Amino acid sequence: MNRRLDEYVEADVQRLLTEDVDLAEQGITVLRREQNLVLCGEVESQARRDEIERKVRAAFPDVAVLVDIGITRTQPPGEAEDLS
Amino acid sequence: MIRVAAVADVHMDSDVLGRYRPALEELPDKADVLLLGGDLTRHGSAAEAECVATEFRDLGVPVIAVLGNHDHHRDQVPEVVKTLEGGGIAVLEGEGTVIDTPGGRLGVAGAKGFGGGFAGRCASAFGEPEMKAFVQTTCDAADRLSEALRRLECDVLVALTHYAPVPDTLLGEPLEIYPFLGSYLLGQAIDSAPTALAVHGHAHMGSERGVTPGGVKVRNVAHPVIKQAYSVFHLHARARAAA
Repeated sequence: MNRRLDEYVEADVQRLLTEDVDLAEQGITVLRREQNLVLCGEVESQARRDEIERKVRAAFPDVAVLVDIGITRTQPPGEAEDLS
Repeated sequence: MIRVAAVADVHMDSDVLGRYRPALEELPDKADVLLLGGDLTRHGSAAEAECVATEFRDLGVPVIAVLGNHDHHRDQVPEVVKTLEGGGIAVLEGEGTVIDTPGGRLGVAGAKGFGGGFAGRCASAFGEPEMKAFVQTTCDAADRLSEALRRLECDVLVALTHYAPVPDTLLGEPLEIYPFLGSYLLGQAIDSAPTALAVHGHAHMGSERGVTPGGVKVRNVAHPVIKQAYSVFHLHARARAAA
């Protein structure tokens, strides 16, 4: 069934991101922008970002999906916060 | 001075093994202890916990953790805890521990916590049994945290949770989901003891800094919030009095 981009699709994508066994992502924001569904946030690896994109496109082939998900950096901290 | 490093929501699995190690090699030069604020794994499997144990093993400083909601997903909590402990990670749930550091005795009390919301916009133990159970879960977690904090004898006291004790550090998250991100009851527990710092995770889109009604500084160290391998806080024995 073709599905146009509406609130129900937005909700289904949000649940897919969390409940799909290969994704389990709760930190991705799902936005409806004009005719596009935008996914943004950060994940721990490129593989996880790619899997999100693949799963969402496969589940909603008629929805234009824009993926703007970054990989969280893991550099050491440059400075400490003094809480005195 | 006591140096506390902390990060939460690292969501380890085999695909990210080794990502943190370069930064962790520097840890003994920067901190006396590392706190992990829950969501250590993706699904809460023992295999993922083994990745956590591997990544955070032999760091040269004690590692203390609480679990998060992801770490409960597979219903394998005993196996997860056992695996983490096998890697030298102390896992707290309504318990505390004291560490001797060059700057004094650091007490850390930890509990995962739970949701429920914040003053004026929170869930109440009323109506269906499911709703009462939801609220009671948070009450029990907060009680355990309070007792653990008040039991510890130390120079500097830190509270470690996964869920947020204040709404301040949720700024950036949708207001509608605040009740799923934390509870004022955790803040009340933190304020029931001379806590110097409260550290939590869970809110990936939240913000770093907050304060409890009692004046305890709160830091959200969710990895996507701090955008580095860990944050470091310098604490002094009278930090709360100066707050």
